[in-house]
Amino acid sequence: MDATAFLERVQALQRDGYRLLMINATAIASTEDVELTWSFEKHGHLEHWREQVPPEQEVPSVSGLYPFAYLYENEVRELFGVKVTGLNVDFKGQLYQTSTKVPFSAKAIRARLDAQKGKKP
Amino acid sequence: MKKTIVLMGPQHPVLIEPVVLDLVLEDELVIDAIPRIGYIHRGLEAMVEKVEYADFGTVAERICGICSFMHGMGYCLAIEELMKVEVPERARFLRVVWAELSRIQSHLLWLGLGADALGFESLFMQCWRIREGVLDLFDRTTGGRLIHSVNRIGGVRRDISDEDLAGIVKTLEGIGAAFSDVARVFLEDPSIRHRLDGLGVLTTEEARTLGTVGPMARASGITDDVRVDGLSPYDRLSFSPLTETAGDCLARCKVRVREVPQSIDLVRQAVALMPKGPGPIDTKVRGFPSGEAYIRLEQPRGEVVYYVKANGTKLLDRFRARTPTFANLPAMISLVKGCQLSDVANIILTIDPCISCTER
Repeated sequence: MDATAFLERVQALQRDGYRLLMINATAIASTEDVELTWSFEKHGHLEHWREQVPPEQEVPSVSGLYPFAYLYENEVRELFGVKVTGLNVDFKGQLYQTSTKVPFSAKAIRARLDAQKGKKP
Repeated sequence: MKKTIVLMGPQHPVLIEPVVLDLVLEDELVIDAIPRIGYIHRGLEAMVEKVEYADFGTVAERICGICSFMHGMGYCLAIEELMKVEVPERARFLRVVWAELSRIQSHLLWLGLGADALGFESLFMQCWRIREGVLDLFDRTTGGRLIHSVNRIGGVRRDISDEDLAGIVKTLEGIGAAFSDVARVFLEDPSIRHRLDGLGVLTTEEARTLGTVGPMARASGITDDVRVDGLSPYDRLSFSPLTETAGDCLARCKVRVREVPQSIDLVRQAVALMPKGPGPIDTKVRGFPSGEAYIRLEQPRGEVVYYVKANGTKLLDRFRARTPTFANLPAMISLVKGCQLSDVANIILTIDPCISCTER
C-alpha cells in the first residue's frame, strides 16, 4: 500500500465533496489479514475503497484530511489490531476497555469459536 | 497553571448516559477531554459468530433501548437487500409509522432530560408525561414499550388495523397539542435561554469538518437528513429537513422541538398513503444471504450506517453499526475543550449522546 498515493486519492475525493462515512474492518477467517474499507458519501452516493491488510502492514491515517477519522482508526487498531500510523489523536490503546486484547482479530474469533465447540483454544 | 484531571462519569447526576471522560482542567477551564469507550461495550457485533442471521434482528435491536425499532429495521433492510426481498408496501409504511413514533419518544425523552439538567423539574415531568402516550402506542401496537421485536426479514410481524391507525393519528393530535405548550417553554422561557443561548457553538464549517450528523448537524445549518435521500416510502412524504443556524446548545434544542410536530405529521401522511389493510405485511424468506450491504437510516440522533457481510451460510461474517453518537463524539470532545467545567454536562447533553449505541 503506497501511503502517499492513497492519501492523494482520499484528498481528491474530499475535494470532490465526499465526506468520510465510516471506516470498517472485517477479520478474514482463513488468514490473519484484516479487510479494511473506507466508505465515502456524497448526496446519497456511496464510494467504498478496500484494502486487505496483513498484520505487519502499516496503514496511513486519513485523520489529516478528515479530522474525525481518528475515532474509527483508534477503533480498528484496538479491536482488529490494524497498525494505523500518523493519527491526529492517538488513544494509545486506551479507547476501548476490553477484557481480551484485539478481540475482533481472526485469532481471537477462532479462539472463541473453538471454546464454543468445547475445544481448548 | 497546574493541571487537574477530573474523571467524569460513568455515573453523573445530570447525564443519564454513562459517558466517561477524563477532563483536563486549568482552574475551571477545560483544556482537554479524553473519552473512554468500553464501560458498557457488550460485543454485540461479535455475536454474528453464533447467532443465526434470521435471529440476529433481536440482537441488533438491543443495541439501544431508545433506537431499538430502527436498529431492527436497519438490520432487516440490509438482509432484505442482500436477498433481494420485496417488502410489501403496507409493511414499509408501517415501518415509517413506528420509526417516526420512535423519533417522537426519543426527542421527548431528551427534552425531559434537558429540562431536568437545567433544574426545570416541572418541564421534565411534562415532557415525560407526554412521552408516556407515545410509549402506550408502542405497547398497544407492538406489545413492547421499548424493545418491540416487530421487524422481521421481509416485513413486519404485526399489522395495525385501519381503525387503530386512525386512532394513532387522533392520539398524536392530542400529543401534538399538549407538546405545543411545552415547546413554547423551550423556545421562549428566559431561564432556558440563559443556560443554553450561545453555549457550545459549532459553526457550519466545524460541523462538517468534525463529521457531525443528525439534529446536531442540522442545528449548525447542515441540511443532511437520510430520509430525503430516497429511502422508500419517505420519498412519497412531503417534508424537508429542519435546520437552525446558531449552532449552539439552544439551536440543538430547537431542532428537536421542531422535529416532534414534523414526525407527527409524517405519521399522519404515512397513514393516509398506506394501502388499505389488512396485510400483506411480510414476504416469506428462504435460503441464506450472500454478499455485502450498506444501509443508511436517519435515527432520532442522526445518521446510522449498517454494514452486513454474508457468506451464504446461516452465520454472517460481519455486522457493523456506525451509530450517530459515534459520529458526533469528535464534535462533542471539541466543544467541551475551552468551556467551563459547569457547562460540560449541558453541552454533552445537547448532543443527545447514546453510549449504548456507541459502544455496542
